Amino acid sequence: MTILTGKAETRRRLQPYRSGVLRKIWEHRADYAYVLPAIAVMLIVIAYPIYYTIELSFFNTPPGLQIRDKIFVGLDNYVAILTSPVFWTVTSNTLIWTVGSTFISFVLGFACALALHRDFVGRGILRAILIIPWVISAVAGSYIWKWIYHSDFGIIGAVLVGLGWADRPPNFIDSVSTVLPSLIVVNIWREFPFAMIMMMAGLQTVPDQLLRAAKVDGANAWQRFWHVTFPHLRNVSTVTILLLAVANFNSFIIPWIMTGGGPSNASHIWITHIYELAFGRQRWGVASAYSVLLFLILMSLGYFYVRALSGNEQKDGSQ
Amino acid sequence: MSAIAEIAHRGHARRRLRIDGWRWGGRIFLVFMLLYTALPMVWMLITSIKSGFAAMQFPPQWWPDQPTLASYQKLLDPQNSVGQDFLRFFWNSLFVSTTTTILSVIVAVPAAYAFSRFTFPGRNFLFFAVLLRNMFPAVIFLVPLFILMRAIGLVNTHGSLVLTYLTFGLPLAIWLLKGFYDNIPVQLEQAARIDGATRFQAFFLIVMPLSAPGIIATAIYSFIGAWNEYIYAYTFLSKNEQLTLPVGIQRFFSENTTDFPGLMAASFMMSVPVVVLFLVLQRYFVRALTEGAVKH
Repeated sequence: MTILTGKAETRRRLQPYRSGVLRKIWEHRADYAYVLPAIAVMLIVIAYPIYYTIELSFFNTPPGLQIRDKIFVGLDNYVAILTSPVFWTVTSNTLIWTVGSTFISFVLGFACALALHRDFVGRGILRAILIIPWVISAVAGSYIWKWIYHSDFGIIGAVLVGLGWADRPPNFIDSVSTVLPSLIVVNIWREFPFAMIMMMAGLQTVPDQLLRAAKVDGANAWQRFWHVTFPHLRNVSTVTILLLAVANFNSFIIPWIMTGGGPSNASHIWITHIYELAFGRQRWGVASAYSVLLFLILMSLGYFYVRALSGNEQKDGSQ
Repeated sequence: MSAIAEIAHRGHARRRLRIDGWRWGGRIFLVFMLLYTALPMVWMLITSIKSGFAAMQFPPQWWPDQPTLASYQKLLDPQNSVGQDFLRFFWNSLFVSTTTTILSVIVAVPAAYAFSRFTFPGRNFLFFAVLLRNMFPAVIFLVPLFILMRAIGLVNTHGSLVLTYLTFGLPLAIWLLKGFYDNIPVQLEQAARIDGATRFQAFFLIVMPLSAPGIIATAIYSFIGAWNEYIYAYTFLSKNEQLTLPVGIQRFFSENTTDFPGLMAASFMMSVPVVVLFLVLQRYFVRALTEGAVKH
């Protein structure tokens, strides 16, 4: 009797949960040790900031980040954002920036991947050169292009004048009408290599037999691309486009360094605008409310991202 | 030649011509992309070997009359103040990036292994929570992290950067490594377990060496990310002695915006380490990066 009780107690000490989720967690406690450091870092530096941003978005805070003096204002910050005309300028800029950069980067990257798919002399070197803009720092890239666009000594202006297409060098990034497209050109320069890498990897998975079979059946090059190659790349295209869209939506360095959002907000996108509200004008509450809205938008994009990724995994499992 | 053979021959020639049309279109396109990619970098190099005076001319000199390495000498000369600053920024970047890289590998390797091999409750949720970090821009985290770092006394230290860089390096690192572990057969570990190895020994002695390419890819990714990071460094650091290169060269040249040769030389020197690292190890990196996305 005593022995039996002793055994039961021992068992209970080692396994305090008899059933359900808690027991499962307890059984796998050793597994968590592997992920614990990663989760701890992510919690401190992600979960806490997200919580804090949401809290701060309901407060009015004095400049200087004296957070103790904050005053609860309810939804005022959100109302202030949605009724400000700058909001709509910045939002339309962000849309043009994100959609334009993503679409063109993807098409150019995909086309490069197709053109590089067949082996030829110098292919490796060419590919390496095409990737470099993606590897170097965006800060360096911004300065290079700022110099290229320079309104007095810029090389593009000089070429245009030299060809007689312009009387004097245009102000690419100092003029409201041209600044956004000019920055998008820089952004594409930095991003198409990523699409190229992804699509090159995708192309390698297209089965050769299918392409050859299509050729025997009389499909021309375009038909083979459209009916065989392209459907095979649906997954990798989705993931690539989503990653590009998120990265572009979140860009900061190129507009910030090249123009700081100017002239007259023409190149401000959400991120640079939030940064300016927070660290330029010290309106922490409004900046936080902006961040919360951004967060909501990104969560919905994230939903598709996760679905695209788990779509891959499911198909993988069924193989 | 019989009539049939002639027709077949003509058809063949026509098909060759059409395929060549695609091929030539592709080549012309590649030449265009090469110019788009390379010309800005070539112009950076040409400008960096001009004198300040030669750079300020219109129309520009396509090739400088008197090429000079003066800008590079200035940046690399520990005797003058420009060189002192630049070299210090360089070492700061190297220190922060290397520390971040080592820590990310240490944290990401066990986590990725667990996500690949174990089926603990909450595994999928945690994995996607980690992945979702990639979705959020640095700016969202800036204000609260700034307050947090100030509270724990890390503002104006490199520790604040290492800690934050770790979080945006980790998600992709875990994703990349998980892809690698998924491809290593479990049987290898099982065999080791039967031979008497503990689970940890099996992991450390069997799986780790096999995943070396993945670990290299992860390390490159962390290093390049940390080396190029700008916004946190720009916000968290204020003292000249601590700045990393991207912020450093900005401070440096905002006072003297006319020194474009110097700025281009600094941009070039900032790019060299990551480009060399990438070109040497790109095989591993590209494979790891695309592995997860192209499965079908």
